[in-house]
Amino acid sequence: MYLIRATLLLIFFITPIKANTIYNLIKIPNLEIYKIDTKNKLKYFYAARPFRLGTQKNIICSNPNKKDLDMKYKTIYKNLSKYSSNYLKKINLKYIVLCENLSISELYTAGIPDNTMKTLILDIKFNENYFERVIHHEVFHIAYLQHKEIFDDEEWIKFNKVQFKYAECSTCTKKLGLDTYGKTKGFFTEYSMSTPSEDMAEVYSHMIFLKKKEINQIRKSDPILNNKISYIENKIKEIDNSFSF
Amino acid sequence: MIKKIKASRSEKIIFVFLILLGITTFYTYFIVKNKCLFIKSFDPKSINFEKPNNIAILNVACGNVIIELYPNVSPNAVQRFITLIRSNAYENIAFHRVLENKLVQAGDLEFGKKGNLNYAKIGTGKSGLGTIKSEIDSKFNYTKGSVGLARTFKNNTEDSQFFIILQDEPLYEGEYTPVGKVLYGLEILKKIKNQKNSEYILRPDFINTFKMLN
Repeated sequence: MYLIRATLLLIFFITPIKANTIYNLIKIPNLEIYKIDTKNKLKYFYAARPFRLGTQKNIICSNPNKKDLDMKYKTIYKNLSKYSSNYLKKINLKYIVLCENLSISELYTAGIPDNTMKTLILDIKFNENYFERVIHHEVFHIAYLQHKEIFDDEEWIKFNKVQFKYAECSTCTKKLGLDTYGKTKGFFTEYSMSTPSEDMAEVYSHMIFLKKKEINQIRKSDPILNNKISYIENKIKEIDNSFSF
Repeated sequence: MIKKIKASRSEKIIFVFLILLGITTFYTYFIVKNKCLFIKSFDPKSINFEKPNNIAILNVACGNVIIELYPNVSPNAVQRFITLIRSNAYENIAFHRVLENKLVQAGDLEFGKKGNLNYAKIGTGKSGLGTIKSEIDSKFNYTKGSVGLARTFKNNTEDSQFFIILQDEPLYEGEYTPVGKVLYGLEILKKIKNQKNSEYILRPDFINTFKMLN
């Protein structure tokens, strides 16, 4: 017993010191400040060196080069500036981590939301064609995770045709296309068909990204998407009444 | 006739060596050993404060640290802090987490008491008064010397533990509830025992007393 205690104490006191403030706040190593004095109080960090996360270290991301980082930061900042500090506080998003070639269990992904740590990790090298819209998609995931009591998957499923079935998980399907359909049939993209929460995120990101006129047109032509759009609109209003798409 | 004897070269070398040895001995025994030497302690009675009711005096090994509390910034947190100070709850409590030249943390009333330290649980103890809500909405610059309440990863879990930062930490704004700022004695806090390979301290330094000025 004494030996176990002594060993535990030894481990406790020889653990390498990690005094980095960012690490202490969000538990992601190798980050440095990119910009912290922003209008909506979002704080941007970047990977100065590659990092691995998770209990199985299955989340991996590399450090971007300065030129790419400077360029992509402008795009990300422009898009995230659409959100007020009040809204961000309500969805519990405060830190944006910028890195390159983000993957989880060897699957490349645009972003990893973590509402508990108030953090969104973004891959700045994600496909140019969808990059801006995907930022909002990931913001929705933060809101969804933070307000699980508001979003009801079962209610959402009922908007679709009876015979339609989502996949078990977002990576359990080959429906990964992010191109917006020319003619929507209840879904904005192929990826929308993966899971209810991904579908919600796709609707949300289109509502932010498309022009109001385009959204109104879709509402008129697609009754399923009309319901879905109304649902997201109402739920986001529940989170923050002052939010407008 | 007295013949003047000149010191030989080797005698001169031995003489210089002995002087150096003496200096080294003095330095080792009196200067290096006494970590508080050259550290100025402050006597609160000799200082005029604008708001004496908000002044708290933290006494540690090297002297007094004088802190101004900000009840207008974080009213509930400061109220809790004053309650604990006035009940002498912080006396003999360890600085259990110390990051050299960055931060000192104390206030674990349950597992950080002198004579009753629990190294396995230190940092997780409670005061018995319950947790309070985070007060993080006011603008507050976390410059060095700022005092804040510690919490778990979740907000609204502040209790009795507090930290004092020894360098500017702009990222702390909006994260941690501020309660005040050190007016005098930051150098004293830099002398609190730290450990090179761990932020948790084996045989830590303790708070001697923590009192309100009035």
